[in-house]
Amino acid sequence: MDFDWTEEDRAFRARVRDFLARELPSDWAALSRHGPGSKEQTEFSLEFCPKLAEAGLLVPHWPSEWGGAGRPPWEHFILGEEMWAAGEPRGAQYMNVNWIGPTLMRFGTDEQKRRYIPQMAAGKAIWCQGFSEPNAGSDLASLRTRAERDGDDYVVNGQKIWTSYAGLAEHCFLLARVGGSDKGKSGIAIFLVPMATPGIEVRSIPSLIGHGDIHETFLTDVRVPASARLGQEGEAWSIINYSLANERVGIPRYELASRVLDGMVKELSKRGRFSDPVTRLRAGSASAACEAARILVHRTVDKRSRGEALGAEASIARVAVAEADHAVTDFGLDYMPDAFSGDGDLAVQTHHERAIVTGIAAGATEIQLGMIAQRWLDLPREVH
Amino acid sequence: MRFQPNEDQATFLSVLDQMAEGDAAAWKTSPEWARFEWSETFDGMLEANGFLDCAGEETLGLTMAVAMTHRVARLPVLAECAASAVLRPLVGPELPRPIAVVDGDPRDAIRFLPVARSVVHIGEGGVRRAVLNPNAVSPVDSLFAYPMGRLAAGALEWQAANADPETVRNAWRAALAAELGGALKGGLDAVVAHVKERRQFGRPLGSFQAIQHRLAGAATRIEAAHWLALKAAQSLDPVDAATALGYVQDAATRIVNDLHQFMGAMGLTLEHPLHRWTYRARLLRSAMGGAAGNLEDLAERRWRAA
Ligand SMILES: Cc1cc2nc3c(=O)[nH]c(=O)nc-3n(C[C@H](O)[C@H](O)[C@H](O)COP(=O)(O)OP(=O)(O)OC[C@H]3O[C@@H](n4cnc5c(N)ncnc54)[C@H](O)[C@@H]3O)c2cc1C
Repeated sequence: MDFDWTEEDRAFRARVRDFLARELPSDWAALSRHGPGSKEQTEFSLEFCPKLAEAGLLVPHWPSEWGGAGRPPWEHFILGEEMWAAGEPRGAQYMNVNWIGPTLMRFGTDEQKRRYIPQMAAGKAIWCQGFSEPNAGSDLASLRTRAERDGDDYVVNGQKIWTSYAGLAEHCFLLARVGGSDKGKSGIAIFLVPMATPGIEVRSIPSLIGHGDIHETFLTDVRVPASARLGQEGEAWSIINYSLANERVGIPRYELASRVLDGMVKELSKRGRFSDPVTRLRAGSASAACEAARILVHRTVDKRSRGEALGAEASIARVAVAEADHAVTDFGLDYMPDAFSGDGDLAVQTHHERAIVTGIAAGATEIQLGMIAQRWLDLPREVH
Repeated sequence: MRFQPNEDQATFLSVLDQMAEGDAAAWKTSPEWARFEWSETFDGMLEANGFLDCAGEETLGLTMAVAMTHRVARLPVLAECAASAVLRPLVGPELPRPIAVVDGDPRDAIRFLPVARSVVHIGEGGVRRAVLNPNAVSPVDSLFAYPMGRLAAGALEWQAANADPETVRNAWRAALAAELGGALKGGLDAVVAHVKERRQFGRPLGSFQAIQHRLAGAATRIEAAHWLALKAAQSLDPVDAATALGYVQDAATRIVNDLHQFMGAMGLTLEHPLHRWTYRARLLRSAMGGAAGNLEDLAERRWRAA
């Protein structure tokens, strides 16, 4: 066992930090306040990601065949920690790097791979994820958007909601029901759909997490060729389970939380307000929550780096990550309330707007707890 | 980073597992319904098979000593592992064992004292050690699930330990974090087994979401605590050590209360082993400053320069 970084890891992290120090503009803190799905950050990502790609820092963990360098998953993760802590200058493109690209590599046809992966590896592709619907949130398998086969095409009708980045995305990784069944996991397929296809309408939802982030997506008689289907009809569930196990721990949120906590303590110290034992205890407790999240997420990376599939460990890590995010926000609310107003402390506000998502997106905490109970503790499923 | 044990460590842990699953460590009610079972047999097996010396082996190290402390704490029987495996190599490899440790007020009742042959004192002024003599110890009854005793002041010949007090404190915190985490895991496993079997309202208790979620929350914290203790054992860094111990002490309160809650009346009997783990946890949560002291100390260390 070894819980320390290797020299190589450290050097890699230093390289990423150097790159960020060089390439992030001086008004980046204000820019990143708009949120990863905003127009501002999306446009920025289309300049920034190609430079990352050029430097070999966009997809180093992908195989060389697809523009990567076959580097270990740890480098992917170090990159993720540094990018997220810096306010995610990759914008929506982190999704391509983390799971859309790898999912296409594994399940896509040659044509799909050739068409989409090089653009992602070049840092020039914006995708969105069309899973949730008004009546299918936690219970995703009850989704109703339907794709009817019509000759060589499918015709899609339905509505998606909470679609991040949809306003500016060029493609959607879309789930829709196929065949005769109205419910259940077995009747779902994945479609890779250009957002410019006639019949797609996107409306932005004003929200607490930055403008332009989440959307409603309406699909009316949207015609897509059968060649846009990823995998077989009915295969969607197993494919997204594979992809999303990684995504539960895809964003290293504890890294930003921990750095924001650092910043708050520095500020409190400067104002002579960090000598009270209760304040210190609370900061210590938030710090411990971040470290708990960090080590549990690192455990999942370790497992992945040995080529093993993630099980309930990902849910365990996710629950700890949500606790860490909340602990840091709560510390700020109690001891630095003024940071949440005006331009008091942009990092605190940016963190907070990203942290309120943690217990809900990518599977609510209660869903994760259920998976831990059933898959880790082997408790009997609930009976209704 | 590597969360997997190396080959020697894997062998070490699997042989330890076999011993831990054997008869000597199994749950039996103890004579006269004592609240703990000091297992001289199991303790002797750990010693005779060289387990307690693992910290000195290059490929095993202090990390394995702490991993072993966690494993042993999961058992319903008691052996003295933490001090012998983690502290002894640092403060006096020749000290006779079992070893009791004074890490708080020396006038308080101290665990393992009635069965110990030497004592280590981790105090403000530094680390010292002494060989025990029968006049120095008076056993006391206690609610805690350890053999407890008081030290007679002045009855011992103390010797300063030739060890860096800071390193000793950090190693001891890592060991305590593992011992407390192991005790919580032992309790969790017993309660999970119970709620799978026990049926009310026509279904297993463990199928109720109210119970599932609280047990899953406990499992999450117990997992984190385990890895944090191992990390602290490797680094012996003061922030890592205070993090590991403060985190698990903070988590212990709710976990212990929940575990008892889900056992119902059965958990209050001496016929079910749950009390063995809870009354270890209820002692360990205050060690070395308790959750508040450790979390505050971690803040002080982490942001000393701030
Ligand atoms: C910022 C943000 C971005 C998102 N981006 C996307 C995206 O790009 N694409 C996409 O498809 N989706 C996206 N989502 C949607 C996300 O996946 C859903 O919000 C999530 O799955 C929960 O669904 P819901 O919001 O409908 O909550 P509901 O399913 O209505 O649940 C509400 C709450 O009820 C509780 N609950 C639900 N089920 C159970 C249960 N079985 N047991 C106990 N408690 C339960 C939980 O506390 C849950 O938070 C995003 C969400 C957010 C917040």
